[in-house]
Amino acid sequence: MKTSAILGAVLYAGAATLGMAAHAADPVTITIWCQDDERQPGLNLAKEFGEKNPDIKVVYRQIHFDDVTSEAMRAYSTGQAPDIIAIDNPEHALFASHGVFLDLTDRIAKSAVIHKEDYFPGPLASVTWDGKLYGVPKATNTIALYYNADMFKAKGLDPDKPPQTWDEMVDAARKLNDPAKNVYGIAFSAKASEEGTFQFLPWAQMTGGGYDKINTDGAVRALTIWKTLLDDKLASPDTLTRGQWDSTGTFNSGNAAMVISGPWELNRMSQEAKFDWRVTLMPVPEVGAPRSSAMGDFNWAIFKSSKHPDEAFKALEYFVSQDPRVFPVWGQLAARANVEIPATGDAKKDAAVKVFMEQLKYAQPRGPHPEWMKISKAIQDAIQAALTGQATPKDALDQAAATIKGILG
Amino acid sequence: MRRLYSSLVDGRGFDLCLIGIPLVFLIVLSGVPLVYNVVMSFQAVDMFSLGSFIRPWVGFDNYRQLISQPEFWPIMGHTATFLAASIAGQFLFGFALALLFWLNFPGASWLRGLFLVSWVMPGLVVGAVWNWLLSGDFGVFNFVLHQLHIISGNVFWRSDPAFALWSVIIANIWLGTSFNMIMLSVGLSSIPDDLYEAAELDGAGALTRFWTITLPMMRSSIGALISLGLIFTLQQFDLFAAITSGGPNNSSNVAQYWAWDLSFKQYDFAKGAAISVIMIVVVMLASVYYVRSTRHEVRG
Repeated sequence: MKTSAILGAVLYAGAATLGMAAHAADPVTITIWCQDDERQPGLNLAKEFGEKNPDIKVVYRQIHFDDVTSEAMRAYSTGQAPDIIAIDNPEHALFASHGVFLDLTDRIAKSAVIHKEDYFPGPLASVTWDGKLYGVPKATNTIALYYNADMFKAKGLDPDKPPQTWDEMVDAARKLNDPAKNVYGIAFSAKASEEGTFQFLPWAQMTGGGYDKINTDGAVRALTIWKTLLDDKLASPDTLTRGQWDSTGTFNSGNAAMVISGPWELNRMSQEAKFDWRVTLMPVPEVGAPRSSAMGDFNWAIFKSSKHPDEAFKALEYFVSQDPRVFPVWGQLAARANVEIPATGDAKKDAAVKVFMEQLKYAQPRGPHPEWMKISKAIQDAIQAALTGQATPKDALDQAAATIKGILG
Repeated sequence: MRRLYSSLVDGRGFDLCLIGIPLVFLIVLSGVPLVYNVVMSFQAVDMFSLGSFIRPWVGFDNYRQLISQPEFWPIMGHTATFLAASIAGQFLFGFALALLFWLNFPGASWLRGLFLVSWVMPGLVVGAVWNWLLSGDFGVFNFVLHQLHIISGNVFWRSDPAFALWSVIIANIWLGTSFNMIMLSVGLSSIPDDLYEAAELDGAGALTRFWTITLPMMRSSIGALISLGLIFTLQQFDLFAAITSGGPNNSSNVAQYWAWDLSFKQYDFAKGAAISVIMIVVVMLASVYYVRSTRHEVRG
C-alpha cells in the first residue's frame, strides 16, 4: 500500500504542476498552513487577523502533524507553497538552509512588535541559520520530571525534595517501584522516533555532549542508566515502543510513580490524575552540573516564494502581539521570557507551569541542521540497539557518532 | 466518416475503445508512477528537486548504499518471515473456517458473513485494537495466556525483539483470515457434489475425499489466493505503523515500512524508491511463477 502511496504522491506532484497556472492569486490573499485546530492558537489567530484586516483575505489550511513537512516540500517544488507555514522546529533548518524561507532579519530589526531579544535562546536558535533569522518561534515546550507526591509519601520519600541528580532519580525509581501493585518507578519514552531523540538528547547535553558529540562518557553513562531502568524493570519494557503521551497516561492512572514529559500534558493531567502530582526540573548528572532540556513546538516562517511578504509579515506581527493569550486561552507556552503567565486557579497546574518556565531557560534546540532527521535516526538506532541488548551503550553510541560524523561531513 | 462512426459504434473501433480506455487509464495511473519510481531510484533526489524529472543520475549508488546498511539484510529477512508466516497463517485458518462453514450447519451462512467484519475494518483501527490487546503490562492477550497458565510473567509483545515481528504477524493473520475464508468458500461451493457422491459410493473416506477431490479441484482458487495474499501482505503498512513502528531496534521492520520511513521520515526519496523497486521485482517474479504454474491448468 505504501508503494502506491509514494507513487501517488509523485503523481500528485506532477498533476499539481499542471494545475498551477490556473491559480492566479488575488492580489492580497495570504495562505497559511498550520496543524492547529479550533482549540489551538494557529487557526484562531489566523481568523482574527483576517477579520481585523478586511483588505487581506486569509486562507487557512489545517495540515496533520505527520504531513506538514512532506506537504510543504511538495508544494514548494511545484511552486504552490503557501505564504506562511508553521513548521516543527527541528525541520526549520532544512528549509532555511535551502533558501526556501524568507530571510526576516531586517524586517524583525525594524519591527515594533517582534523583538529578537524577547525570545528564549533555544527557540531563537531554531529559527536561525547562518546568523540570519528565517522565522519566528510560534510556541515552545520542554520536558521535566513529573512525580506522584502521594506515592513519595507512601514509600517514605520526601515529596518536597524530589530527585535532583540522576543517581537520586534511579534510587527514587527503585524505592517507588512496586510490581505487586502494578506500579513502575518511572515512565519515559525511548521510542524509535523523534520522541526518543527528544527525550535522550537533554541527558547527553547535560554532560557536555550533544548531537555532534553523542558518544561522550556522560552520554554513555546516561544510556547505561536508561538500560538499568529497563533491565531492572523500573520502567515498563513498553518504553521502547511507546510515545510520551501514552507513557504519561500510565502515570496519570497511577501505574508509574514518575514520568518525564512536557507541559502539553498539563490539561489532561489536571483532569485525569486523582493524586498530588508535581513537577521538578530534569535531574542533572551530579550536583552543580549544567542543566539542559529538550525544546519542542513549532515556528512560523514565510516562504520566499510569497508574493505578499509584507502582508505575511504583518500577520506574523499580529500573531506575536497575541502571545500573552496563548497560555490562558489555549494552554501553550509562548517562546518568550517576557510574557506573563497568569494563574489558572488550578494550584497544581500553576506550580507546574512555573517549573516548566524555569526549565525552558535551559532548553536547547535539536540541531539546527538541514539533515536533522538522519542525525536523529542515528541516535534512535543507538538507543534502541543498547536498550534491546544488541550492543553495549558505548558501542551503540560510537556507531551513532560515526554515522553522524558522516552526515555532518 | 460514416464508416468511422459505424466502426466506433459497432466494430473494430468499438473493440479498440474498449481496450484503449482502460489501457490509457492504467498507463496514466499505474504505468507512469511506476516508471517515475524506477527512474527516481537511479537519481540523487532531495526534497527540493521532487517536482522535476531532470536530476543527477547516480546509477546504482542508491542500491549499493542501501545494501551496505547494516539493517538491510535483517529487514529483508523480516519481510520474508512476515510474508511466509502471514500467508501460511491466513490460508490455514481461512481454509479451516471455510471447511467448517461448508458443513452448512444452521446459521452457517450468516456466521460466515459476520466473519467479514474483520476484513472491512481499516488497518489503522485494527492496529490500534491489537496495540491494546498486545500491550505488555495490561494487555488482554497476556491476561488470557496468564489465566490459561501458558505464561507466568508478562510477555512484552510489542517491545521484546523476539516477539515484535510476531505480534504484527498475529494481527495480520487475524485481519486476513476472513478474506481467505470467503475466497475458499467460493472455491469449495463450485466443486460438483456428484464427485463426492461417486467417491463415497466407491468407499473413499473423508480424508481421502479431501486429498483426492477437494484439494485438486481447489488448485486454481488456492493459487490465486496465495498470489493475492502475497500482494496484500507486501502492502501491509498500517499494522506496523500502529503496533510497533518497526521497532524495537528494527526487529519488526519490513521493506514496505522501511521504504516509507526513508522517504517520508528521513526524506531520502531515492532510497525509498529503490526499496520499492526491489519489492516490485519480487512481486513480478512471484506473478510470473503464478501465471506459469496455472497456465496449463484445466479449470473445473
